[in-house]
Amino acid sequence: MSGNEIIKIKDLRKSFGETEVLKGINLSVSKGEVVVIIGGSGSGKSTLLRCINRLEPFTSGSIFYNQQDILQTEMVRNEIGMVFQQFNLFKHKTVLENITLAPIHVLKRIKEETVKEAMELLKKVGIEEKADVYPSKLSGGQSQRVAIARALAMKPQVMLFDEPTSALDPVLVGEVLWVIKKLAEEGMTMVVVTHEMGFAREVADRVVFFDNGIIVEEGKPQEIFNAPKSERLKQFLRRIS
Amino acid sequence: MLAALSKLSKVKILRWLANQYIDIIRGTPLLVQLFIIYYGLPQIGIIINPFASAILGLSINTGAYVAEAIRSGILAVDQGQREAAAALGFSSAQTMRLIILPQALKTMIPPVGNQFLLLIKDSSLVSTITLVELTRTAQRIISTTYKPIELYIAAAVIYYIISLLATKLLNILEKKARVSE
Ligand SMILES: Nc1ncnc2c1ncn2[C@@H]1O[C@H](COP(=O)(O)OP(=O)(O)OP(=O)(O)O)[C@@H](O)[C@H]1O
Ligand SMILES: [Mg+2]
Repeated sequence: MSGNEIIKIKDLRKSFGETEVLKGINLSVSKGEVVVIIGGSGSGKSTLLRCINRLEPFTSGSIFYNQQDILQTEMVRNEIGMVFQQFNLFKHKTVLENITLAPIHVLKRIKEETVKEAMELLKKVGIEEKADVYPSKLSGGQSQRVAIARALAMKPQVMLFDEPTSALDPVLVGEVLWVIKKLAEEGMTMVVVTHEMGFAREVADRVVFFDNGIIVEEGKPQEIFNAPKSERLKQFLRRIS
Repeated sequence: MLAALSKLSKVKILRWLANQYIDIIRGTPLLVQLFIIYYGLPQIGIIINPFASAILGLSINTGAYVAEAIRSGILAVDQGQREAAAALGFSSAQTMRLIILPQALKTMIPPVGNQFLLLIKDSSLVSTITLVELTRTAQRIISTTYKPIELYIAAAVIYYIISLLATKLLNILEKKARVSE
């Protein structure tokens, strides 16, 4: 298994002041695997993703990316892409510039090449006609697809999604999930935090249930959704259905 | 600009210095600052002509107010922009230069512009340190022509025209900054 393991999290703990938000997380993600994290509000799902991407320092434990401690390597942020609930597109840049900015300045690539690739990515997420508009002119679904294209432009090995459809109008959720599904089919390694249980069932290789800073249960979607073992997961599933 | 970045910086001493500078300048009248520069500096051995002390005084003064405007402009940029930049691998200097400052600029234009309008008017104060500027020129002519009302009005009109031009320029800048909305 270890040769295939792209992310390995060992006894991860994280506190904000007095409150411990992550209470010893152990989790591995293999190459090409789609892990979906579910769990109630405030259970620490976002915090976990932010730790993996080094956006948040953690209190103890360790995270390995390709066998390397993420605290020792600068490559982590370039190779792990992240998509946020609020899209966070750069408001002063056009769609195209949003996508090419990091390849040009972080990877020091030639502008013309990055533009060509950006156009291909826009085609892939289905909005090449929006290349020259500013983010304020996009719908939520379009914004999120641009954000996905922006992350993909760095050619990441892993993609992290933090509730990518939670800020969207229900009718726009599908167009974003469609893109994520397509990535899954192409074999992208992904960790997705979501409240879309239908999506989790369909796309996940493994579902992880978070509660109160610990992983309570994990398994194949059928196991988690059809035969939950723990009382807390049963409660959670009853509440959201 | 430097003061604004210092005040936001993680280095305590820089932050402290910037805070002191901004608080002292904003807490004392410009007139007093000008006097201190013009009359005070020569006493500690620095000879300075009236024009230089006027420029120095006005810049130090405006700098403090502009620093505050820049700082609040930077703070007004939503935290998500920094996170997205960090997640894409931008260094913090790149993030500031490519993402935060260009956006901060937009919210900064009105307050910074106002400060420059104030500066135009405040420049009348430098007459008190013997420098001949617009108001002082008016006073001089008055002393030979004895037509105070007309000349002060003329001076006011000139200030007004300069300010008007500056305002127009600002509006153009603001429109330009707003293309992304
Ligand atoms: N910067 C912070 N400072 C203090 N507390 C924080 C901070 N960020 C998160 N928390 C707390 O940590 C806990 C876990 O937050 P987190 O955002 O990881 O939860 P979540 O599972 O993503 O929830 P949601 O489904 O609402 O997004 C919450 O109780 C939250 O209040
Ligand atoms: Mg969250």
